Amino acid sequence: MVVKAHPLWRNENEPSIAIGHAMTTIRSFMTDDHRRCDDLFADAEQAVAKKDFTLAGAAFGHFQSAMLAHFDSEEKTLFPTFEAKTGMSMGPTQVMRMEHVQLRALMNDAVDALKAGNSDDYLGLADTLVIMMQQHNMKEENILYPMCDQHLSDELPAVLERLETELCEE
Amino acid sequence: MQALLAFENAPPFAAPLRFFLTAPLFGVLAGLLIAFEGADVFASRWMPGALAATHLITVGFMLQVMLGALIQILPVVAGANLRQPLLIARLVHVGLSAGALMLAAGFLLGLPQLLGGGAVVLGMTVLAFLIVTAIALRGVPTTSPTIRGIKLSLFSLFAVVGLGIVMSLALAYGWPLPFSALTDLHAGWGLGGWAAVLLAAMAFVVVPMFQLTPGYPARSSWWFPIIMLAMLVVWSAALLLDLSVLARLGQLGAALAGIAFALQTMRLQAKRRRARPDATYRYWQLGLISSIFALFLLSTAALWPTAAELEGWTLVFGVLLVAGGFLPFITGMLYKIVPFLSWMHLQNTGQAKVPAPAMNKILAESGMHRQMLAYGLALILLLAAVFFPAWLARPAGLAFAVANGWLWWNLFSAIRRYRSHLADISRKLAAL
Ligand SMILES: [Fe+2]
Repeated sequence: MVVKAHPLWRNENEPSIAIGHAMTTIRSFMTDDHRRCDDLFADAEQAVAKKDFTLAGAAFGHFQSAMLAHFDSEEKTLFPTFEAKTGMSMGPTQVMRMEHVQLRALMNDAVDALKAGNSDDYLGLADTLVIMMQQHNMKEENILYPMCDQHLSDELPAVLERLETELCEE
Repeated sequence: MQALLAFENAPPFAAPLRFFLTAPLFGVLAGLLIAFEGADVFASRWMPGALAATHLITVGFMLQVMLGALIQILPVVAGANLRQPLLIARLVHVGLSAGALMLAAGFLLGLPQLLGGGAVVLGMTVLAFLIVTAIALRGVPTTSPTIRGIKLSLFSLFAVVGLGIVMSLALAYGWPLPFSALTDLHAGWGLGGWAAVLLAAMAFVVVPMFQLTPGYPARSSWWFPIIMLAMLVVWSAALLLDLSVLARLGQLGAALAGIAFALQTMRLQAKRRRARPDATYRYWQLGLISSIFALFLLSTAALWPTAAELEGWTLVFGVLLVAGGFLPFITGMLYKIVPFLSWMHLQNTGQAKVPAPAMNKILAESGMHRQMLAYGLALILLLAAVFFPAWLARPAGLAFAVANGWLWWNLFSAIRRYRSHLADISRKLAAL
């Protein structure tokens, strides 16, 4: 991919917590993974633009598995740790889980549309998916991850290590 | 806590929707006014019809959508929750619509009392909005260029409305004021400090989001709102101190900041990674090109003031910036926001048990595209009408009314489809 992911809110003003891990925060680590997913999604879009549905199907598959791995790492590692530490199990993490359900459904529908070679259906679903995904990511990046960094400062090295192993082995 | 609540307190759909569905009707009204008044509207920017049409568009359309959108997005982008969003939306919507109508009627009929009354109604409405927003934003740290932009734009909103009230009262009571210079400044705070800064704050989020472009460079997006406001402060101070060169410097700075932002946005859009250009993208291209031309006219006049005395200069500038720039930006966003919010509310209603239809099933691309062509034609006619008012003023007004009516129809149809899907989903849920 030519275009580097956007450093929209990862700028000089972002507080970095340096504990063991060289300046990595949950926010920066997970945000980088969001951008990686964006790049994979863009690959699928480019293939659809060229009307290459075989390539698009494969590219979308990569995107989907990256997204699912991201959701898993959140639902199995990050969110439970956050909930255990803060006692907020019905709060923001619950909303994020519900949005994951919606995103999973949208991705499944998009896969079906690509299999059927129906570009109109795919484009409509992709449009919905893009906005849903971006506003979901925005909430995590600007609200939830900073809260995780704040509340999980003791657990940070261990959590980051687990997230790294979960997201890097695919 | 602020941040926590943001997840649960997304305002009900009815809160922003009333603004989005009312705004195009003000566009229709402005078009009909131009069609009715004819060539007179284009005789000068001071014509009653021109002032009335301008405020129907800037207050009735632009301010309308912008306040509605703010009520929707403050919780999402800033984690700032308005208490009772629906109640606030109702009050602001009524005050804004009534104020805009009174203001336009006051200008058109030359009734200073009505004008002053409209300004006071608008002033109180905006003040109430600013107070509840300030309460919601209290304690929200400025952690992104978007939050900074929103905060600074709200300050400008206060300035533009304040100047408007002062001028309308001066007209009503015959106070001697330098109206021409103050009107320019009023427009500067409204279009530069309020509309452009808020638009940029939104663009930092939605351009990468809708078009999958790289993000805006952090440095320039942090600085754009500050520079724009600084230029307006310079311009205002220059007016108080009676230093016309300094005032022009402020105008030039504001114009150049706007051009830089527009060019930056074009550069990013060129790197978009979506599969197909859509109506939103094309509307933004139109808006960017028109604003760059408009701001080029503004910088030229700042450097060489006699240019502004050329026939039609100011009118072309105004049409290009407002009808060519801001309205296309706003319409482009409405075409994403309304179908997305519909989808989101349907999705939430379905509780993941009954699926929601995708966005293009709620508002189809073809309908938006055709409306956009009609709008483009109206814009061309409006620009041409500045030079051939006797021939083209009425057709231009009619075309503008039709294009806005069509926008209303598109949005209204989307909502009708939303409602029928909503009933459908509720029925299916009940049957489960
Ligand atoms: Fe997530």
